[in-house]
Amino acid sequence: MAVAIASELGVTWLALHPAVGPDYRAYYIDMSTTCLNKPVSGTYALGDQLSFLPRGHGAALKVRVCGWDGPAGDGTHSVGTTSRLRFTVPPATGDLILTLEMSAVGGPDHPAEQRVEVSANNVSVGGVTIPADGLQTTHFDIPAAAIDKATGHIDIVLSYPNAVQMFPGDSNTHWRSIKLRWARLRPAGTVEPQPKTPEDETDIREGTAA
Amino acid sequence: MVADIAAPAIGRDLPKPVILVAIPLGLALLGLLLRFAVYMQVGWEPKPYMFADGICRWDCEWYVNIATSGYDPFPVPGNIDAGNWAFFPLYPAIIGALHKLSMLPVMVIATTVSILFSGLAALVAWPLLEKNLKAYTLYCAFLLCGPVSIYFTTFYTEVLFVLLSNCLFLGLKRTNYLAAGASAAFLSATRIVGVFGAIAIVVQFITDRLQAGDKWRTLPLTALKTPEFVLAVFIAPLGLFAYMLYLHLYIGDALAFSHVQRAWGRVNGNPAFYLWQALTNMPTEGFWPSISQQLGLAALAALGLSFVLVWRRQYSAAVFCLICVILPMAAGMASMLRFVTAMSPLVLTLMLFLARWQILFVVALLGFIAADYYFTFGWLKGYLTLV
Repeated sequence: MAVAIASELGVTWLALHPAVGPDYRAYYIDMSTTCLNKPVSGTYALGDQLSFLPRGHGAALKVRVCGWDGPAGDGTHSVGTTSRLRFTVPPATGDLILTLEMSAVGGPDHPAEQRVEVSANNVSVGGVTIPADGLQTTHFDIPAAAIDKATGHIDIVLSYPNAVQMFPGDSNTHWRSIKLRWARLRPAGTVEPQPKTPEDETDIREGTAA
Repeated sequence: MVADIAAPAIGRDLPKPVILVAIPLGLALLGLLLRFAVYMQVGWEPKPYMFADGICRWDCEWYVNIATSGYDPFPVPGNIDAGNWAFFPLYPAIIGALHKLSMLPVMVIATTVSILFSGLAALVAWPLLEKNLKAYTLYCAFLLCGPVSIYFTTFYTEVLFVLLSNCLFLGLKRTNYLAAGASAAFLSATRIVGVFGAIAIVVQFITDRLQAGDKWRTLPLTALKTPEFVLAVFIAPLGLFAYMLYLHLYIGDALAFSHVQRAWGRVNGNPAFYLWQALTNMPTEGFWPSISQQLGLAALAALGLSFVLVWRRQYSAAVFCLICVILPMAAGMASMLRFVTAMSPLVLTLMLFLARWQILFVVALLGFIAADYYFTFGWLKGYLTLV
């Protein structure tokens, strides 16, 4: 009996003192984020247009970290109050421009617009307000200083201050805000190519500009 | 006529143990044939050798994964949020061990062992069914050839939970606290609510002592002077603690089975609110209750049968069932039908009731068998009430 009691007390102590990393603790224990950071490679060729629609989304999977669901016919849906994309670029890269085409959730009981705040490696790069059921293409300036010089990673975090609870009792991990259709990261000073349409996405799948 | 076939008349010349084995064996074969017939009609890939895999849906696939590959590390392979830590280890460990020893396919082993455990659960329940052969027959049909036999004949932990629950309450019926404690220890490694077997042991002890004439104020002292009871209470949660220790050593979080619920979007709330929400979720068309209402009705039935247990003075079983139904309800109504039908004391009470009248026994028996066919159909078609 003493062994049983001692064991149970010991395990109880362990339960109260988890030995986990910050990403695990933030998502599962503290619940301070709805987006569980994962070791996604971020493999990406600068200038490529990544499709987040069903056709040609293979390359997008390499930059999707968390906070995404799909793709569906209208794009990859955000889930939760933040989403994350990771791009890996040459560390010596200069200033960049991130382009995102997004639409917002809409409906009779939903807000008339969705606000999206964007940061790159914890550096705020701006925000955009997208009207409900509206489609918007927005450019964000990413300073070279935001790039992780050791790894070349740029973690783009999209925050949704007025994400929508779709059903009563939904956890905030299931709230919805925007649908991402495509994304591009290109060096500043280059010309924005004409966006590819879904019909062009056989090229997009290869990550190669037509 | 059916009652005569299924009931004692045919067995008057046979030893009772033979009858008690023959009934579940016959119903197991009948149920297997029925579910196989449905699978060949509507399964995804209806080939005979794919039957065991074809019946495995939803959480069954998680258990197969654990039995073959063990628990997920962190980060979870496939970069998903939902690690398999929410699924308790005992039954997957048993199947996984048999798989490694025999090299037979996991689902073949799981189906065979599940049917075997269902039969054993019925045998263990024989004294709990007051040695009523009609109730026993109905119980066997419910487990092996009934509307939710899917849960007890494929790879779900419910079958082991039922078997161990029957062992627990049989131990308590015989005032064998150590046996009850050991059963509860395995129960707590089977499903998270199994740990409340410890509370059942405590309630039964109190009931036993009060019936023996003890007073409330002397109970604590009496308890301390009953070492087998005290030991039973402390060994009852050992299964859970063993799993917690494993999780801490493996991924650093002993409570991972609870924390990971976040990945499924489960929000803890008021069970009464969730029940009300389910019952008032009206169907969009027609008169048939919505899926939420069906789950809510299952919960209501469980609560009602729990109060029947109280009326029958089966307080330990009542408390155990109430906790095991209300606690999951705090996270919503998902899988409520599965949880309720795995509450053995409730099902045994229902079987005893259905066995009281001959006509009701016959209707129930035929109804169970027919429902096995139709509910398997619904299972394979993805009917959400059954998930």
